[in-house]
Amino acid sequence: MPQIFRPYADTVLRVALLAILVVPVAAIGAAYAVMWSPYVTGQNVVIEQPVPFSHQHHVGALGLDCRYCHTAVERSPVASVPPTHTCMTCHSQLYTNAQMLAPVRKSLASGIPIRWNRVHRLPDYVYFDHSVHIANGVGCTTCHGQIDDMPLTRQTAPLTMSWCLSCHRDPAPHLRPQSQIFSTTWRPPKDAEKAGRALMSAYHIDTTHLTDCTVCHR
Amino acid sequence: MTARPPIAPADAGRFDIDRRRALTLLAGGMALALSSCGPPREEIVPYVSMPEGMTPGLPLTFATAVAPFGYAQGVLATSHEGRPTRLDGNPRHPSSLGAIDIFAQAEIMSLYSPDRAQAVRHGDDIAAWSAFEGALQAQLEQEKLRRGAGLRIVTGRITSPTLIRQLQALADVFPAARWLRFEPIDDDAPRAGAVAAFGEPLVTLPHLDRAKVVLTLDADPLGPGPQQLRNAAAFAKVRQSRLTPDDFLRLYAVESMWRLTGANADERLALAPQLMRNVALRVAQALGASVDAGDLPDRARRFADAVAKDLAGNKGRAIVLAGDTQPPEVHALCHWINAQLAAPVDHLPPVDANDKSHAQSLQELADDLGAGRVETLIIIDSNPAYAAPGALKLRELIGKAPFSAHLGLTDNETAQRCQWRLPMSHALEAWSDLRAVDGTASIVQPLIRPLYDTRSAHHVIGLLHGDLGADPYALVRETWQARATGDFESQWRRWLHDGVIADSAAAPVTPPQPHLPNVAPAQGTPPLTLVLAPDPSLWDGRFADNAWLQECPRPLTHEVWGNSLKIAPQDAAIHGLRDGDVVKLAHDGVTVAAPVRVQDGQPAGVVAATLGLGRNAAGAIGNGVGFDVYPLRGPAAGWHIEGVTIEATDQRHAPPTTQHHFRLDAEDKDILRTLAIDDLPRGTASSQDRGESLPSLLPRQNEDGYQWAMVIDTSVCIGCNACIIACQSENNVSVVGPEEVEAGRIMHWLRVDTYFLHEKDEPPGFQPVPCMHCEHAPCEPVCPVAASVHDGEGLNAQVYNRCVGTRFCQSNCPYKVRRFNWFAYSHDQAYANLGADTVTAQYNPDVTVRGRGVMEKCTYCVQRISRARREAEKTDTPIPDGGVVTACQSACPTRAISFGDLNRKDSSVNALRHEPHHYAMLGHLGTRPRTTYLARLNNPNPAAQDDGA
Repeated sequence: MPQIFRPYADTVLRVALLAILVVPVAAIGAAYAVMWSPYVTGQNVVIEQPVPFSHQHHVGALGLDCRYCHTAVERSPVASVPPTHTCMTCHSQLYTNAQMLAPVRKSLASGIPIRWNRVHRLPDYVYFDHSVHIANGVGCTTCHGQIDDMPLTRQTAPLTMSWCLSCHRDPAPHLRPQSQIFSTTWRPPKDAEKAGRALMSAYHIDTTHLTDCTVCHR
Repeated sequence: MTARPPIAPADAGRFDIDRRRALTLLAGGMALALSSCGPPREEIVPYVSMPEGMTPGLPLTFATAVAPFGYAQGVLATSHEGRPTRLDGNPRHPSSLGAIDIFAQAEIMSLYSPDRAQAVRHGDDIAAWSAFEGALQAQLEQEKLRRGAGLRIVTGRITSPTLIRQLQALADVFPAARWLRFEPIDDDAPRAGAVAAFGEPLVTLPHLDRAKVVLTLDADPLGPGPQQLRNAAAFAKVRQSRLTPDDFLRLYAVESMWRLTGANADERLALAPQLMRNVALRVAQALGASVDAGDLPDRARRFADAVAKDLAGNKGRAIVLAGDTQPPEVHALCHWINAQLAAPVDHLPPVDANDKSHAQSLQELADDLGAGRVETLIIIDSNPAYAAPGALKLRELIGKAPFSAHLGLTDNETAQRCQWRLPMSHALEAWSDLRAVDGTASIVQPLIRPLYDTRSAHHVIGLLHGDLGADPYALVRETWQARATGDFESQWRRWLHDGVIADSAAAPVTPPQPHLPNVAPAQGTPPLTLVLAPDPSLWDGRFADNAWLQECPRPLTHEVWGNSLKIAPQDAAIHGLRDGDVVKLAHDGVTVAAPVRVQDGQPAGVVAATLGLGRNAAGAIGNGVGFDVYPLRGPAAGWHIEGVTIEATDQRHAPPTTQHHFRLDAEDKDILRTLAIDDLPRGTASSQDRGESLPSLLPRQNEDGYQWAMVIDTSVCIGCNACIIACQSENNVSVVGPEEVEAGRIMHWLRVDTYFLHEKDEPPGFQPVPCMHCEHAPCEPVCPVAASVHDGEGLNAQVYNRCVGTRFCQSNCPYKVRRFNWFAYSHDQAYANLGADTVTAQYNPDVTVRGRGVMEKCTYCVQRISRARREAEKTDTPIPDGGVVTACQSACPTRAISFGDLNRKDSSVNALRHEPHHYAMLGHLGTRPRTTYLARLNNPNPAAQDDGA
C-alpha cells in the first residue's frame, strides 16, 4: 500500500507546532522591540539642524539659563524656540563673521525665520503643558537629560506614554524645589523618597487625578 | 447610500505586468517603505522678531465688532499666533452683554471661506487694483463734468461713522450723485409709523425687563436680528423662578407664521396679518379710544379681549410691539397705545443716517437704470441682483450701467453682473468703526492681515474722492480725534481695549404725544396671503455660503440645507398636500416651485416662506439650496403678498430635517417638564430624582477635587441656536452636508430639541441637550477598548486615539448625544470645499480634529477646564466659581446654561440643583446625569385660550 505521508511530514508537523508556540511570542516581542527602539521613539537620535546649535557651549560652558531663550516655558504649554533676534543679542557682537552663523544672519536680514527640526515630538493627540510641570517641581534636565553635555541636541527620554505614566503615577522621586528647576547640576538627594513626599505636599500635588485620560488627551 | 469622493481613482488596479517585474517592484516598494517609514519629521519655525506681548502657545483676545446686518455686535476675538479662531460676546458692549448670536459667530467662517473673492476681476479676467483705479479715475473725470449726475452708490445699512462721513463728503465733490441704501430686511414700515406718530423716524427699543405684559403683533423681539441679544437678556430677567407670579412676564404673541417670539410666548394666536389691526383696535378701545374695531373670528376675539384687559390693568408695565408685516398706520396705532400705557420703551434717534426708505431707493435705482441715467454704478457689500424684489427686474437692469463695480466678499449674483468685481476685506481684516442699534460705537480692529488682495469699503470710497492711498486706520482715527476729549492716544487705547467707546450711545428722546391715527379695521376674509420673513439661519441670504449656518437647524422645524413653504393643515387638506409635496407658488405672473410643510399653528389662509435661499452664485456651499422667494416680492418690497395661488405638482422634495433623528424613549412631558409659575411649589427643595435612590452595583467614585456639573434653565431658552454654533466653533465640529444629514449623521455635539407639549399649535418648549456626563454612564462599560472613560472630575471622556469605531457606546447612550465620524468630514472627505486649507485655519488648536471612524461628543469643553486647572495650579489658588465657562454657556444671551463645581458650597449649580423645579432627564434610568434641567415655567392666561383646548 503506498504511503500517504512523505518522510518529511513529521518534521513539518513538529516545526508547525513549535511555530504556533514560538511565532506569536516572537512577533509580539519583535513588535515591542521595534516600538521601543530609537527608530520609533527617537531616543538618543541626534537631529541635524540648519545651524549646529550647541547647548554644551551655550549652557554648559557659558552658563546661560534655559529661560534666556526658551522664554515662554513658565507660562505657556510650549517652551518656545527663540526668535532670531535672541541669537543676535550676542551674535551681533560675537562671532559676527562665523560661517556657522551665516543662516542666522541671513534670517535677520531677510526676515525669513530659521526652520529648526523638532527634536522632541509628541503625537498630535497629546496635549503637553510645560508651564504646569515647571510649577509643580519637574526640572528641565529630568526629562531632557544633561542638556549641558550635548554638542547637538538629542532626545534622551523615550517619550512613550508608559514613560510619562511612570512619573505621573509616582512623581515624588522626580521633583525638585523651585530654585533648582533650571539647574543642570542638581541631582536627586540621597533621601529622594522622603524629600519627594515633602515636595509633593508643598506643591499640593494630588495623584488621584494625574492618571485621568483627560489630563493629556482631549 | 451616499456617494463619497473616491479615495482611489475608479480605474486603479488595472494594469498588465509580469511576475519578475512585480517582484522587483514589491522589493523596491518594501525598501522604500522601510526607509521612509518612521515618525514624521516636524519643523519648529519661530519668529525673526517676536511681537511684544505675545507668548507662543497662549492665545490672545482682542475686542472688536462685527456687523452681520449692519448694526454692530461687540465681540471678543480669540487669536492663536495671529490667526483668529473664534468670536465671543463682549461683556462691555450694551447690545451684546457678553452674548453673541449665530450670525456674528459665523463671521469667522466667512473670513476663511474658500469661496471668497481673492482678486480684482474685469469681466472674466483677473486684473490689478491699479487697473481698476485707473479706469475709475477716468470715469470720475467724466462724472465731474456732470457734477456726479450719473453716479450711484448702492450700499447696505451703514452704521460706520467714518464711512458715513466719507459718503456724505462725496456730496461736496459730486453734488448730483446719489447714495442709495437698501437692506432686504428693511425697517421701512416701523420708520414710517414712527414718522406718522412722532414726526421723526425714531427707533423703539423695548425694555422687556421692566414689563409685566407684552403683546406682539407679528413682531419678533426674541427672533434673529440686531435687538435679539438685548431683548433676550431682558426677557430672561423677568422669567426667573424666584419671581412671584405678579412679576413674571406674560408674553402674548399674535403671529402670521411661527417666529421665535411666538414659540416662547405664554399665549399665541395665529392670525392673518391683515386682521392684526383689529386686535390693536380692540386694545385701543379698551384704553378709551372710540374706534371701530371691526370683526374677528371667535378665538381671536377672545384672545384680543383677554390681552386688552391684561394690558389695561398693567399700565406702566405693558408694551405692544408691531412687526414688519404691519403697515405704518398700525405701527402708529401701537405707538399711541404704548403712550397710553406708559410703556417702558426708549425712543432713540436712528443710527441709520440715510433717511430714504429702502423700497424708494430701489425703485429710484431701477427707474434710473431703466432710463439710462446711471453712468457709474458702485455697489458696496450689497446684492440687489439677488435680494431686490423681483418686480423691479434689477437682475437685468444692473448690466445696463456703462461702468459698474461691486465690492464684496464673494462673487455673488450682483458681482457677476458688474464689470469690475472687487474683493472686499473682511471685518476681521480691516480697520473701521460701527454703531449698534442703540448708537453705541465701537472701533473695529483687524485680527489678521488681509488673506488676499482685498481692500475695505473705506478705501474704495476714498478712490471716489480721488484719494488713491486712503488708509482706513488714519480715516478712523481722524473721525474719532474730532470727538475725543483730552488725551486722544490714551483714549484710543482704552476704546480698543474695551471694544466700546464710552458714552457714545444715543440718549433716549422724549417724543411728542402721538395722536390716535385713523386706522380703518379690516373687513372680511383676506385672500391667500404669502408672509415673508428673514431666514433664522441665513438672514437675507448673505450667509448662504456659510456652511455652519446652512447646517444650523431652524428652531421649530429643524430644517437644514433648504427651506419650505409653511402651510396650515386646513389649506393642505383643501389642496391634498402632505409634507414634502412641491407646489407652484404664483403671484402676478411669477411662479416659484416650493416644497410644503404642514404646520399646526400656521393660520388658515396664510402661507409662509423665508427669504435667503435659492441662490445660484453662493459658491459650492450655497448654490441651489432651497427656493428663492425674492422674485415674488412686489416693488414696494413688503412682507406679505396678497392673492398668491398654490398649485400642486406631482414632485416631491423636502429639505433635510433633524427633528426625529434623536428620539428619546420616554414621554415628551417627562423629557421636557413644564410648569405654570402659579403652580411652582415654593420653599421646597427638588425631589432630587436623579436616580440616587436607585440601587447600583457600580463602585462609588472618589469625589474629592472639582466635580463639574451643568444646569440648563429651559424657562429662558429661546431656541436661538447660539450655543450650537458656539460649540461648533470651539470644538472643531465638522459640517457634513445635506446627504449625510438625511442619513441622520449631523455632527452637532449640542442639539436644541423642540417639544410641542400640549396642542401642536401652542407654543412649544426648547431643550438644549449636550452630553449628560452621567455618573453611571451606559456608554462606558460597553467600550471594548476603554475609549469612553470617566475621569476623576465627573466628566465622561472620549479618548479619540483609542477609539476603534465599534459604535456600541452610541447605541447604548439613552440620550443620543454621541456622534460618529462616518467619513473623514474634517479632512479628505469633507463636504464640498470644506477641506480647503483656509477652512482648517479656523480650527481650535486646543481640541483634536477627529479622523474617520472615531466617536465624539460634548466634553464640557474639557480644554477650558484643563486651562483653568493649569492656571490654578501655577498660581496655587483654586478655580473660582465661574472660572470655567463652556462655549455654549458664554454665547447664550439668556444665561440659560450654568456650569460649575458641585464641591463648592456656593456655586451656582449647587443652588440651582435645589430649586423645586429641578429635574434630571430620564432620571429613572439610574444614569445620574451631571447635566440637569430646570423645568420650563410659563404664565398662561386661561381667558385667552380656546374653550376646551
